[in-house]
Amino acid sequence: MSITTVADPPIPEPVASMDGGHAIDHRGSWVPNGVMIATRFMELRRRRGLMIALVAVNIGIPTVFLAVRLVAHAVAPHSYAPAGGYDIFTNMVAGVMFIFGFIVAATLGCTAGSIDLTEGMFRHLVVTGRSRLALYLARIPAGLAIILPLVAVGFTIVCAVCAFAAPTQLNYQGVTVPAGLSHSAFETWAGDHADEVICNFNFNGPIVANVPCGNGPGGPGVTVGPGGGPQQETSPSVNRTQAIAMANQDYRDYSEHFLSPSISLMVRSGLWIELYAAIGFLVGVGLASLMGQRTVPVILLIVLEVVLTPLLSQSPIAHLLNLQRALLGLAATHFEPAGLPSAFGGAHNGGIAAASITESTAVAIFVLAGWVVVWTVLGAWRMVTRDA
Amino acid sequence: MTIVDEVAPGSAAESPWAVETHGLTKRFKDNVAVDGVELLVPRGCAFGYLGPNGAGKTTLIRVLLGLTHADAGSMSLLGYSVPHHRDRALARIGAIVDEPRFHGHLTGRQNLQILAAAREPAARGRIDASLDRVGMAQRGNDKVSKYSMGMRQRLGVAACLLGDPQMLILDEPMNWLDPGGMLEMREMITSLVAEGRTVVLSSHLLDEVERTCDAVAIVDRGKVIRQGPIAGLLADSAFELQIDCSTPDRAGALLAGTPWGAGVEIGPDGLRVGLAPGTDREVVAEVNRLLVEGGVPVYRLQEVHASLESWFLEVTTRLGEQQ
Repeated sequence: MSITTVADPPIPEPVASMDGGHAIDHRGSWVPNGVMIATRFMELRRRRGLMIALVAVNIGIPTVFLAVRLVAHAVAPHSYAPAGGYDIFTNMVAGVMFIFGFIVAATLGCTAGSIDLTEGMFRHLVVTGRSRLALYLARIPAGLAIILPLVAVGFTIVCAVCAFAAPTQLNYQGVTVPAGLSHSAFETWAGDHADEVICNFNFNGPIVANVPCGNGPGGPGVTVGPGGGPQQETSPSVNRTQAIAMANQDYRDYSEHFLSPSISLMVRSGLWIELYAAIGFLVGVGLASLMGQRTVPVILLIVLEVVLTPLLSQSPIAHLLNLQRALLGLAATHFEPAGLPSAFGGAHNGGIAAASITESTAVAIFVLAGWVVVWTVLGAWRMVTRDA
Repeated sequence: MTIVDEVAPGSAAESPWAVETHGLTKRFKDNVAVDGVELLVPRGCAFGYLGPNGAGKTTLIRVLLGLTHADAGSMSLLGYSVPHHRDRALARIGAIVDEPRFHGHLTGRQNLQILAAAREPAARGRIDASLDRVGMAQRGNDKVSKYSMGMRQRLGVAACLLGDPQMLILDEPMNWLDPGGMLEMREMITSLVAEGRTVVLSSHLLDEVERTCDAVAIVDRGKVIRQGPIAGLLADSAFELQIDCSTPDRAGALLAGTPWGAGVEIGPDGLRVGLAPGTDREVVAEVNRLLVEGGVPVYRLQEVHASLESWFLEVTTRLGEQQ
């Protein structure tokens, strides 16, 4: 017996088409609308576990570290140095905030790039008819709206502690000197501490003043003066003039002993770690969207940042020099503000690594842009072509 | 790949078909999941897409919705050719495919907000009404992770309603629903159809489809083997005549010499006469006349048609034997 498909099925009479009132709403456009971005932001922000982890790593760790230093210094100021200061700032920025910011951003990016797939919402979104590219692109501003303020908060805490809890004095040429004095203030201070200055500061020129340097190399009663031997002490006004002259000559050297980071350095450092965090987020979104999962991309990016980049940044490898130059982290250190130590433990700005693995600014820009563009395009392509 | 873009967008409003496919084919390597499907779903009805597990029901829906691409053939939804005018077609369609899954850390309402954001601006104003319609208004602010599967299914239907769709495509909508939920779903589908919408549902729950749908298509191994209104399809199936009479044995003997004698069976519940598909109803009167004239008092004569389930099994079994 043969089975045949009913050729002309006597189906119910079709009713008139409904006018659903659906004006053309450009949902085929690749540009996401503001509401899509806002709801995507809400979706990410309400991931409580993820947000706690990100805050703990990017804000909690630096905060706890600095808080312990603050408490220790408050309890035993002679045993523990002040919590902040220039050195703490530079090391925190290059050694902690830069790398942690990237990891946090990459983790959020991987979440944003894959979570619709893994949680089954991608299919619901696709059947709305909205452009898949728009669905992908909506994740980027939403995620950046989370990660950039998060990094900024952590960095602001570091800046605040390093600026306001910095040491107020430094030991300059054996003399305890207030930090951060202007040229004229330094001269005024030198005039007020003429004996100490004359006895201890370096001076390239004739010393006309004679002052006793009781605890100096010459021992009690020994004076410093033009003759080099015991002479009559000069008047306070002469001593003051001499000290001011010495301070004037030494100010350039003194001014390079920073106790707290300058505003300029803080701004440049902040922009630098925000840039790197943004790149980490974009790479995370693209990689996770390409792979369709979160865990493996997160692990890959952490390994890249914590293991591979520091290893490959230490010294040039003849046959891998171009690969080393293509490292995201190494290219990012090209834009590291002067005054910070190398982010990956090697030398920086003329040091060993910088001298060996050289790349021009154009190449560094190309590398950074390449990482962003390649992964974004690959992620978008996969998003558009994958089966939902 | 041969995808034919036959339907011009301008003809969308005039097309009588909510779904129209010609030669639609989808392969996964050597496995043909959708095999040259010719399907016509009229507007404004509840249409069932039936088939055993693995028959290709969900794959066809995924192809229609653009969740995966077709390898050959043409298709249109509400008159819009797909995939060329996919965005226009899907703007007027709500669909749930496979297991209803959402962001578990968000509430039902927040999940709908995400989906409404991807639709037209008016969709955001339909969230409350959609939740209310599927009976989820009280639980809309609970996290989805706390929902039962039945509640997620309802939320999926609410998501379909956000776009005030002309057509809903529901993949196994009765799954995970308790009997009360199935009844409510059935009533909701009926009410949606009464509003002029088209509802296409795939299912292997034949009894539910028979109660809900006006027309069905039967799919097996990726091919549509029958389609049409349920009543029409069942009319083509064999049926039997149950006869309640005083002396079944005598009645059986009387009928044995007739053209329908081969189908006579005497059971504990009386006499049954199997009749071939397409048998004229006049036969019933003729049987009655023979028995009465033969001196057998007849208390009751009842036509018993095959249910959709038995018909479905009959059709698919015959097809399986053929292959």
